[in-house]
Amino acid sequence: MALKVYADRMSQPSRAVLIFCKINGIDFEEIQVDVFKGQQFSPEYKAINPMHQVPAIVDGQLKLFESHAILIYLSCAFPVASHWYPSDPSKRAKIHSVLDWHHSYLRRGAGGLTFNSIMAPLNGFRSYPQVIIQAEEILLRSLSKLENFWLKDGGFLVGSSQPSIADISLACEVMQLELLSEKDYHRIMGPYKKVKKWIDDIRSATAPHFDEVHERLYKSQKVYRERMVTHSGKNKVRSKM
Amino acid sequence: MTLKVYADRLSQPSRAVLIFCKINGIDFEEITVEFLKHQQFTPEYKEINPMSQVPAIVDGTFKLFESHAILIYLASAYPGVPDHWYPADVFKRAKIHSVLAWHHSYLRRGATGIVYHSIMAPLHGLTFDPQVPEQARKILPKSLSILEDYWLEGTGPFLFGNSEPSIADLSLVCEIMQLEFLSEKEYREILSPYKKVLKWIEDTKNATGPYFDEVHMALFNVQNEIRERMVKQSISSHKGGSESECIK
Repeated sequence: MALKVYADRMSQPSRAVLIFCKINGIDFEEIQVDVFKGQQFSPEYKAINPMHQVPAIVDGQLKLFESHAILIYLSCAFPVASHWYPSDPSKRAKIHSVLDWHHSYLRRGAGGLTFNSIMAPLNGFRSYPQVIIQAEEILLRSLSKLENFWLKDGGFLVGSSQPSIADISLACEVMQLELLSEKDYHRIMGPYKKVKKWIDDIRSATAPHFDEVHERLYKSQKVYRERMVTHSGKNKVRSKM
Repeated sequence: MTLKVYADRLSQPSRAVLIFCKINGIDFEEITVEFLKHQQFTPEYKEINPMSQVPAIVDGTFKLFESHAILIYLASAYPGVPDHWYPADVFKRAKIHSVLAWHHSYLRRGATGIVYHSIMAPLHGLTFDPQVPEQARKILPKSLSILEDYWLEGTGPFLFGNSEPSIADLSLVCEIMQLEFLSEKEYREILSPYKKVLKWIEDTKNATGPYFDEVHMALFNVQNEIRERMVKQSISSHKGGSESECIK
């Protein structure tokens, strides 16, 4: 029975799992769960993931959610190149460290900002202005830490010369910022040269799947940017200048 | 060279790492970094952990922070750690990673959001955000319900119905222990509906005795003082703020 991946390509952690499967030739069936249509709340999906979040996988008897847990499981259960999740305990520990850091920093920042300032208002969901402000502060701190610490030795995260599951996970998160207006994207991302180069390196290392999986995001980017221009602007990201 | 563990016993993830080392007979030197006295911001500590958080470890030349990463590393790198802490079985391990990841966004956000931003930071003149406890008060009961009804489902006393504890049990229970800083009344109000959770805390305590109690003594030693000061300053943890520095 083939691996099933329940995903929404607008969801950063969903994209990470999809790209990982494709670049490693893991045979799987992608089952779309459209979050903005509330499909994660169906009784069928609740049986897969009672937390109502994407992604989730079903591999035989195993049902699993949380993208980091999924990426680690796939690295161990399927034959993948060792750089994705090295067996050496110290190298592996560094990957766990950045994945954990990601939850409280980059994910909270990028996810919080894009959801509350763009996706929620444009899809008729409630958003919280205070969360937008907090999220942008966290995001800027996180991008700074990425630029000056996690990528300080160049190459990929934690000084590795090849990408790991952490690179895919965090890069997919940063890609979510593409939903911001061009002006806000450049204002936020402008200073971070190493981060931008790192995204390109991951794109190359996982080609052509990175771009293919992000196609839906780019289509939405166009739509959102056009709609935000005519939107009331009250949920726009506010410049700190 | 002995393992060094940089910890503050008032920090939940620090306690999890300390208890794990002690219960597994891992030889280590504990170096206290008091976050309420800003010791995590010294240049020396920034060399160990540039994120200025506890815990962190130094094992020879290897430095590591984030408690889950540390627990996994210690379970893997040190001989003689029983398999139940971090099973070699890929399926069992995956479940542990799943609950540890869930913990970040749920239980930790809930418990820390209330305790740090409405009690510890305001009482000690540290920067805090009064909006955080408000969000956290919604996340915490949700997290406890999920623990009660999902993660603790099964025949055994530990997460996933396991018969023996894993690093996830230790990490999450240490987080819930932080709620002991709340007033007695609020602690009871929040936790009393969750019978399985309360039993699981006891079972985890017993499985790691006497270290669990010993490491938590630091928390209990200041608990009364904190509770008295909260009453005296008329800061109810519901208001979450005082003249201390507030993030606007």
